[in-house]
Parts: sequence; structure tokens; C-alpha cells
Amino acid sequence: MTPLDLDVFQWLNLARRAGRDMVRQAVAAADPGIREFAILLSPAAGAELEALAARAQALTRRHFGRTIALYAPLYLSNYCPTKCTYCGFASDRRIQRHKLTPAELDSESAALKRLGIEEVLLLTGDRLVSAGYEFVRDGVARAASRFHNVSAEVFAMTAAEYEGLAAAGCTAVTLYQETYDPARYALLHESGPKADYGWRLDAPARALEGGLRSVGLGVLLGLSEPLEDVLRLFRHAAWLRRRFWCGGVAISFPRVRPQSGDYAADFPVSERQLAQIVFAFRIAMPDVTLVLSTRESPRFRDGIAGVGISKMSVASRTTVGGYAESTAPSSPQFEIDDHRTVDEFCAMLRAKGLQPVFKNWDAVYRQPCLTSSASI
Amino acid sequence: MEDGLRLGDRVFRSRLLLGTGKFASVETMLAAIRASGAELVTVALRRFNRERPDDDICGPLAAIEGITLVPNTSGAMNAREAVRAALLGREITGSPFVKLEIHPNPHHLLPDPIETYEAAVSLVKEGFFVLPYISADPVLARRLEDVGCAAVMPLGSAIGSGQGLATLSMLQVIVRDAGVPVIVDAGLRAPSEAAAVMEMGGDAVLVNSAIAAAEDPALMAEAFAAAVKAGRQARMAGLMPRSETAVATSPLTAFLAGEGS
Repeated sequence: MTPLDLDVFQWLNLARRAGRDMVRQAVAAADPGIREFAILLSPAAGAELEALAARAQALTRRHFGRTIALYAPLYLSNYCPTKCTYCGFASDRRIQRHKLTPAELDSESAALKRLGIEEVLLLTGDRLVSAGYEFVRDGVARAASRFHNVSAEVFAMTAAEYEGLAAAGCTAVTLYQETYDPARYALLHESGPKADYGWRLDAPARALEGGLRSVGLGVLLGLSEPLEDVLRLFRHAAWLRRRFWCGGVAISFPRVRPQSGDYAADFPVSERQLAQIVFAFRIAMPDVTLVLSTRESPRFRDGIAGVGISKMSVASRTTVGGYAESTAPSSPQFEIDDHRTVDEFCAMLRAKGLQPVFKNWDAVYRQPCLTSSASI
Repeated sequence: MEDGLRLGDRVFRSRLLLGTGKFASVETMLAAIRASGAELVTVALRRFNRERPDDDICGPLAAIEGITLVPNTSGAMNAREAVRAALLGREITGSPFVKLEIHPNPHHLLPDPIETYEAAVSLVKEGFFVLPYISADPVLARRLEDVGCAAVMPLGSAIGSGQGLATLSMLQVIVRDAGVPVIVDAGLRAPSEAAAVMEMGGDAVLVNSAIAAAEDPALMAEAFAAAVKAGRQARMAGLMPRSETAVATSPLTAFLAGEGS
């Protein structure tokens, strides 16, 4: 990926100046792309949020049905060598650290299985010798012996390491660029492996090269100018889809949350703006999985479920482990806002006419796809 | 003589097959299947959940008598995975049918012809009645028939797109040349499109999104069933030929018949 691929200057202009008529055309566009996406991010589109929501809901139903796929995060470790200004696990934070032992991972997995969870997202801090590739790979393999769908949200790896993850049973990798603005990125990631912007930017491509079935992308909303960031995120997703014809792409929408370092968003994103970004993605990329976590409030999550969003986390803990009582205590990465149980959350979905789906994958499909148009 | 749909060694009265994804609840899914009168119901192996009954798509279907499950291999990216999934699906359901579905691209879900062909060869050898989901490709359809598939399932348009019979002219060639049943699958939005398939000689249709995404799925299922039946009846009755020019009911040259020789 080159900086040229991420140039969004002309689209940024459109996102700031689009008029009402352009918005109406973009909402109904038969073959939308980045032009429509930019228009849908505009203030004029913000004034037509109800129309955007209606279209987003119709498209979500068409592609994903009246269902919401569910998953739960499981932190393997919160040790971290990197100083990310906004992160509760940053190396300079005085927090309670822990790394799951294999036995603890087993009891955490068992606890999640008791909740009915079939898709688990394994997380760590940045790469450390003591919590590096082998640690993640072994965690994946261990979890894959219990769950049909295991994915990982961990540090940027090499293509060969991603291949190892896929072979261990990992279906997907989530890796947020956090911000696509190189200057802001440098400012927010002072030191540690994650400070390398380019290495991280190319990681999703390496993951698909390595045989992962899909990659999750996102920006941490609040870190940088949101319009610019989400336009680049869109371009990144579109570029990956073109290059890896059998690779899946999912988009998440994390916002900066309160954490131990008390970093406050420099570019706060309101709920209205967040909803507009979700709707714009759904309309301009109708067939992509859009994910929302428990960072958001029950009110917001209930409202946006099925209206753009097609996949949600549930009953999340952002401490290491946290589902089984036997695991040693640790500090959370950030505060979540939706503390409902699996049953409470599912009851809400059903009341809204949405079917919670726990299992939408099967271990029988576990093996890498190594097809890519590598010549591009 | 009863006008049945013959698939493998079975004959079915209903020519409407239903998919089971995308429904708001198990109850609406069951109501739609009942209303449709479908006897063949496809189920995605990846939605089988033997550990959590309220998440299992397969268990509740046992409540409906007279339906045959057709496990599908949706999620498989290649022939190897599809074959494994088909074998597991047969082990769980006992069904001799498999809807062979291989779509490497998780976004547009269009079927891979090469992997589908390879998997079909293996699965026929394994004794399955193979129902392959394919693009509307007349050559591929014949090749799959030649290797022993029990039917072919060409798409009307992309899954869930609601674009109807975008592939109409190719479907006509497939229907004209096929020696096995042609089940048009995917992309249908309106019952009139299902009727059109049957009128042109298609043997059956499979519908999922159009029913699951309707405001009233059971009512839409009933509408599709009626349309399939009407289209089939029209086909059996023999549609009059289409003509570019008007044909007067009393021929304009009738007066010439009276001329003496």
C-alpha cells in the first residue's frame, strides 16, 4: 500500500461541501463507491440521518437478514512494550498486569462456552518476547479446540506468522490502524513496535497473504480528524478487497473510552456522527460486516443493531480473562458501557425482531486460503 | 399422472425449495416453511449448533413433518472444504442430498465453477445427490450433469441481491438443454419472477432472502408457492407463442377462401 492509495483530498472536499441533492442521489445509488461514501459523511447528509438510517437498515436486512452475529473478546495478556497515549495497557501505566496460563485459558474458554459463545476474539498488547507470536499461536490453537470460530486482535505480524496463525485455526485478524494520519500516529505512538506506521498499515494485507479468511479494520474515533480517517479507512478496505479477491473485510467503529491514563479524545466524535459513519459505510459497502462493541451504551447499541451494524460483542470483559472466577485479577484496557448479560442482550435483540446468531461458522472449514492476485 | 419433481431417487410434489438463513426468529422461519409447502429445505452446516439448542438451525426443523433437509456447504472456499462439510452434513442429518455451494469471496458470494466441478465429481462418487449452486453457465451446467449431479442450481442473480432474473437468457439455454432438473436459485425478489422461471420450463426455484426479508415472511412464502404453482400450470397448459405482430382472431384473408376454382 502506498501513501498515494490513501490520498483522499478530493473526497474530503466533497465530504465537506456536498449539497442536499447529492445526498439524496448517494443514498439511493445503485452502485455506490467512495464518491457516495464521501457525500454521505457530509453535514448535508447529517441533516438527513433518518433517510440514511432507513437505507442502511434495508441493506443490512438484504445482505445479513434479520440477524446479529455475536462474539466475545478474550484478552490473553495485558503486558505491553508500547506507549500509546490513549491505551489503558500502555507500558507507562501502573496497572495490574497478567498473562493467561494455558489452564486459565481453558477455564476462560469453558466459561465463555457456558454463555453460549461460539466466536471468540483473542487479544494481547503489543509484541513482547514473553507474549509474542508463539504465545498467540498457542492460544489460538488452544481456543480452536473448543470454539468453532477463533479470531485474533493482536500486534502486526509477518506473513509467515499469519500463516502460522491460520494453520493453528485462526479465522480472522482484527488490526485497527488507529489513525491513518501519519503525523498524529507518530504523536500518539511514542515508542515500541507499534510506532512503525507503515508496518502496521500493511499488516492486513500480510494477514490475507498468510491465509487468514478475513481482516477487521478500523480507526479509533477521537484520535484524529474523523472525516479524513474514515475516508482513508474506506480506501484501505476497498484496496484490500480488490487485491485479495477471496479475502473478507469487516469494519469496526471503536470510539475513545475512559481508561487508566485519562486520555481524552482530541477529536471527539458524537453519537450522531458515529451513527452517520456507520450508515455511510453500510450504504457504500453494503456487503461488508460492520461491527460494534460494548464500548457503546445500551441505548446506542440497541438503536443501531441491524441498522447498519451486523455483528456485535456481548458480555465483554476488557481485563485479562475475566469470565472465569479462577483467573488472577488484572486491570481493564478501557471501560465498557454495555454491561448486560448474554441473555439480557439477546432478549433485547429478539424484542427488536433480530435473531442473535452465536454460531455462523464451523471448524470443518478450518484451513487457509492461499489464493491472492499477488502480481498487483 | 402426478407432476412431481424428481431428484435422485425421490419425487417431490412441491417445486419451491426454501433456504433457512436470515430469518428474524425460529418461529418466523418455521411459519414460512409451513406456509410455503416446501418439502426440500436447505440448511447451512455452519449454522448447526448442537451445543446451544436455541441457536441451532437444524433442531427446530424436526417439528415440521414431510420435509427433507438439504445441508449446504456455504462457507467452503474450495472443493476440499466442501467435501468435508458435505460428509459432516450427511453424518448429522442423514440426508442423501447436498447443496454444493462454494463461494470464495465472502462479499458477493458468487460460486466458484472450478472448485464446484471438482467437488461435484467427488461427492457423486461418495453417493450424494448433488445439487450444485452455479453461475448461469450453460456449459458448466452440462458438465455437472455429465458427472452425475442430480440437478443444477443456476443463479438468477447474486445471492440476496433481489435483482431477479438478471441471467434470463442464459437460464433459457440451460433449461432448454438440461437433462436433469434445473432449480433456479438466488437473487429472486418477487413471486412473479418465480412464476417466470416455471413458465419458461424451469423445474423448481429456491427462495430465501425474498421471504426472510419480507415484512410478513409466511405470507410471502405463500405468495411464492402460489406463483410457482401458477407458473408450472401455465407451462403444462402450453403458453401460446409470442408474436411481434398482431394476429387477428378472424383472419383478414378469410374472404379469399370462398373463391371458386
